[in-house]
Amino acid sequence: MPQGREVQQTLCRMCDDRCGIDVHLEDGRIVDILGNKDHLWNRGRLCVKARAAVDMVYHPDRILAPLKRTADGWQQIPLEQALDEIAARLTAVKEQYGPRGVAVWKGEAIGFGQQENLARRFVHALGSPNYLSNDSMCYAARYFGFKLVDGAWPVPDLENARCIVLWGANPPYAHPNMTQYITAARRKGATLVVVDPRLSAIARRADHHAALRPGTDGALAWGLIHQIVEAGAYDKDFVERHTVGFPKVVEYAKAFSLEAVEEETGVPAATVRAIARAMESAAPHVAAYVGNGLEHHENGVNNIRAVAMLDGLLGALDREGGAFFKDAVPLRDLTLYDDVPLEHLGPLGAERFPVLYDLRRECHTMTAIEAILRDDPYPLRALIVTGANPALTNPDSARVMQALESLDLLVVRDLFMTETAAVADYVLPAASFLERTELHAHAKHQIVSVTRPVVSWPGVQGEYDFWHDLALRLGIGEYFPWEDETALNRWLLEPTDLTLEELEAHPEGVQYSPPRPGRWKEAGFDTPSGKVEFTSRYLKDLGHDELPVYRSPAYREAFDAEFPFVLITGARKLLFLHSRFRNIPRFLTAIPGPEVEMHPDDASALGVADGDAVRVTSRIGSVEIPVKVMAPNEILPGSLQITHGWKEANVNLITHDDRFDPISGFPLMKAVEVRVEKVVA
Amino acid sequence: MHLAIVGNSAAALSALESFRERDQTSSVTLVCDEAGPAYSRVLLPYYLRRKLTRDALFIREMADYGRLRAATEFGARVERVDAATRRLELADGRSLGFDQLLLATGSRPARPPIPGLDGPGVHSLWTLDDAARLDPLFRVGARALVLGSGFVALQAAWAACERGLAVTVVELLEQILPRVLDAQAARILHERILAHGVDVHTGTRTDGLETDRRGKVHVSAGGLSPFAVDAVIVATGARPNDGLLPECLEPGQPGIPVADTMATTVDGVFAAGDVTRGPTAAGGPREIHALWPTAVEQGKVAGANLAGAGLTYGGSLSMNVTEMFGLTVASLGRFVEDGADDVSEWRDLAGIDYLKIVSRAGVPVGAIALGEPEGAALLGRLRPFVRQKRAVDDMLAFLEGRDLDQRLVGRRAPKEKTPCAS
Amino acid sequence: MRIVAIDPDSCVACRDCEYACAFRQSGDFARSASHIRVNFYAQERACVPLTCMHCDDAWCLDVCPAAAISRDPQTGAVAIDAARCAGCKMCLLACPFGNVHFDKADGVSRKCDLCGGDPMCVRSCISGALRFVEADEAFDVRREALDASLRRLLHLDKGEK
Repeated sequence: MPQGREVQQTLCRMCDDRCGIDVHLEDGRIVDILGNKDHLWNRGRLCVKARAAVDMVYHPDRILAPLKRTADGWQQIPLEQALDEIAARLTAVKEQYGPRGVAVWKGEAIGFGQQENLARRFVHALGSPNYLSNDSMCYAARYFGFKLVDGAWPVPDLENARCIVLWGANPPYAHPNMTQYITAARRKGATLVVVDPRLSAIARRADHHAALRPGTDGALAWGLIHQIVEAGAYDKDFVERHTVGFPKVVEYAKAFSLEAVEEETGVPAATVRAIARAMESAAPHVAAYVGNGLEHHENGVNNIRAVAMLDGLLGALDREGGAFFKDAVPLRDLTLYDDVPLEHLGPLGAERFPVLYDLRRECHTMTAIEAILRDDPYPLRALIVTGANPALTNPDSARVMQALESLDLLVVRDLFMTETAAVADYVLPAASFLERTELHAHAKHQIVSVTRPVVSWPGVQGEYDFWHDLALRLGIGEYFPWEDETALNRWLLEPTDLTLEELEAHPEGVQYSPPRPGRWKEAGFDTPSGKVEFTSRYLKDLGHDELPVYRSPAYREAFDAEFPFVLITGARKLLFLHSRFRNIPRFLTAIPGPEVEMHPDDASALGVADGDAVRVTSRIGSVEIPVKVMAPNEILPGSLQITHGWKEANVNLITHDDRFDPISGFPLMKAVEVRVEKVVA
Repeated sequence: MHLAIVGNSAAALSALESFRERDQTSSVTLVCDEAGPAYSRVLLPYYLRRKLTRDALFIREMADYGRLRAATEFGARVERVDAATRRLELADGRSLGFDQLLLATGSRPARPPIPGLDGPGVHSLWTLDDAARLDPLFRVGARALVLGSGFVALQAAWAACERGLAVTVVELLEQILPRVLDAQAARILHERILAHGVDVHTGTRTDGLETDRRGKVHVSAGGLSPFAVDAVIVATGARPNDGLLPECLEPGQPGIPVADTMATTVDGVFAAGDVTRGPTAAGGPREIHALWPTAVEQGKVAGANLAGAGLTYGGSLSMNVTEMFGLTVASLGRFVEDGADDVSEWRDLAGIDYLKIVSRAGVPVGAIALGEPEGAALLGRLRPFVRQKRAVDDMLAFLEGRDLDQRLVGRRAPKEKTPCAS
Repeated sequence: MRIVAIDPDSCVACRDCEYACAFRQSGDFARSASHIRVNFYAQERACVPLTCMHCDDAWCLDVCPAAAISRDPQTGAVAIDAARCAGCKMCLLACPFGNVHFDKADGVSRKCDLCGGDPMCVRSCISGALRFVEADEAFDVRREALDASLRRLLHLDKGEK
């Protein structure tokens, strides 16, 4: 090892895969990042985003000192002063509007483990129930879809499956490291089914690509259920002993004949049948993974429930090669929901979307926007945003901006001056993942790792230090008694058999408990009935259908000739995650800018060629954007796709924030009615 | 067994490596009239252009000969081969015995019958010494005349142009690069050369050169007004150094004829490189292909067969590539079509200004590419088809680089353990 | 020696390999700087990565008139010494697969050199389509892929009723 050169092993957080990495330093400066060949999750493979973390950490635009908005522009102020002023202004808002007038909004960039729980803890300690996060638009709907059926969202055992079914998910660009496990299964002969309106990267390898109309996944799922039931190919023993509601399933599924499914989804009957046969012959080693693609629809949760039911029917639950239930890491709970319950204060969105608050303790970001703009259900006047950029990533950006700009106090923690930070009162420098120490679990192998702060800057705080310092100033310091992140990590680990020293000595991950397939069948599923629930009493009591009834998406039910195209938003790109990484120059060499994906027939009819500008208009706005003409098998005629996160052509200027899945509260983002016209210079 | 190799360039070196791969015990002596170690003749213009240093021209170190256990006799000119007594008679009076012999004596610059060719100020560009003599004459503002328009000539002209000289090229035939390009491609290159400020006169005979007391060379040529230059570079072609085995030569045919095995008609004597008149890939009459890649290929076969391998050479394929005047110029095989051939031409194809492929019954026989370096790569990919007389199934796919993909996707094995040469 | 074995049946054309190689060569992601190229054919859904196979009998090495191409004694990789390269392009003409590339800015030929024995393309291949294995095994990789596809086909056929 050359003089001054060292390697520190930690995890990458450029996306949520959290691959093991070797960080190479020379005289204390990061010079390279490579995959950790020993890490049990990624086994040395690493997408090119990881190396760009070096560019991100040392980026010239990195905010390294607190900024305060003044009449003369941004003023750099000392951290202590910033925290003092923020605390004072928060107190003022609390006094005027009550604690619930303050909310915290945590973004994807922070992660989901202890960082999320620190934010939850803080806001409750403050006396406000209003914890907001990216889970208003991601993860939670799938969590509900599976939890309501199985008692938890199981993890597909891809590597050992004989049939893998991906629903609205594109691992190569969204969770790159999952892809090698799909490959491993396919090399052993597994079939791959991809359900997606687009020929995504992973669909290129599919044995069956069900290119269905956006939002019709539930119909396909019910169609498969019908096929499997008709063929008698379900696990009769499992169904009888471990499920409730099967007779109603059989009855309801009858309407989903192959012809009916083809009519609704556009997927040829032969393909539907072939997929059913593939699943049946591979059963019970069928592993399904559902992506965000199914969540952004008005019938999202029910569509996901229908998909979840397939696991139970095929006997694929709680087993190797199917869907296995991971054990949670038995860490201490940082949240205060038991100690300081605040439901009586009306968490934002809890009334409209009780399931969201009940099962996830999530408040609803779009309701928060309403509260800011219209004091409905009550005023929300102060917001602390950490690692989120809702100005670009929430639906109806214009409205979001209006709301953010009207706040009494907006504090944003980020690495860069994002669109959201640009309208804040205070922008605070935040520590990146290479500057924090936190615990992470990987479901596969059930391992825990601890990350390490590889570099640091004075005054650039990690999440814990920030909440701690602010809490002290607000008289709630007792809830943040730990000296630092390391002390916190130690406390979190207390109930486990693991020590921090052990985790530090094993960057490849330490197994906290071996996976135990079959234990849920023994012990009962974590549902009200203790069984897999095809019908949900819980939902029925809330006024929803007990079965995951299929509802056709609005663009089909109420076709509007004025907006004849259906727009999908949010397809992932390898190099970008939501609105992040567009300040990495080489990423723009590879993917220079936003575009609207269009079928060649539609392009022809519109008279547009690749690269021509078009105007895409919804009921709430317009955006001008260049066209990318796809191959005819890559996208459906009549549908379009625009990836979000580009300020140059922000698709969220035209997505609605007024149409939701009634169960999850998720906004409709992947089937928006639009029209398109060529832009004439 | 004692092997003697006469020569120290592409064919000789290739043969030496190939021989030693198979035979580590026989003794080998390498004899060459120039000083060693080996240098790259084809890159002399790159040195004059200052793209390479003089040191970089050497392609072997003395240690390499030691590693291959070859004794060397550098600076020793062979005057005669006595096939009967199996001895080499050297100019310095010594004689060297051999059991087997490889003649890789290469070629020498042709000397056109121009009065004043021997005068001072008139140079060849063939040896390291030639280059060393020319280098100080390459000053900004000096004027040079290049006789000929083959590869060496135009490379020299390009080097002079790059070094800031005023350059005139005089070519006897009607087009430049007559052995490398067809009329159309030659026209494109001709225009490009003119655009660089070089004077080019084709169809022009040089009548006389006269060096004055100050060292300037006065030139009279064709219909041109007489002019004076500081240096003349004569590069009008090459002649094989085939004098050592007169008994093998065919009347009126320069070059030592060799069989597919690189054997000459004298037992135990092989020949390789510029000196040979050898088999061609096209399969017609034997030809002299004074090209570096051919010399390498032939040397490889000769060396192997001197060790008893029994290989046959698939025949040389004319292949040329160089960069000059901002263009990559590449040609392959038989690129001048005759009546029975099909010709396809493309202009402005992905950076390639001019691409021509000549085929017969779907099988490509030759090609020319002018423009971006991609043209050379494309001809490289075409070469196996020409050599193996294989048809290109889908020319469009081939041009787009998709042909290999189709083979991989169609699950046919790629040509692994690639027999690249033939 | 080990070479980069390619399994097009597992490739998703994500281009991680191209970006990783281009980055190593040039610090940027221009695909033209990469020594591995992935061709994607939408209609056929085919993803085909191609890179130098470091042939046992490397013609580019044999033909170079500047002795600029040699075989690395450790890795067995066929590599170009850019300091010796004259930019004559004979190697471009020599390679039957088009795996030698020309750097116009520097006027030299460039090619895959296996990154000194730990190829970045393989390290960045998230699908596992690229593997760094012994040359003899490399073609087993393709046979394996064929077997797997056959098995899938049979599986599917069995499922069809």
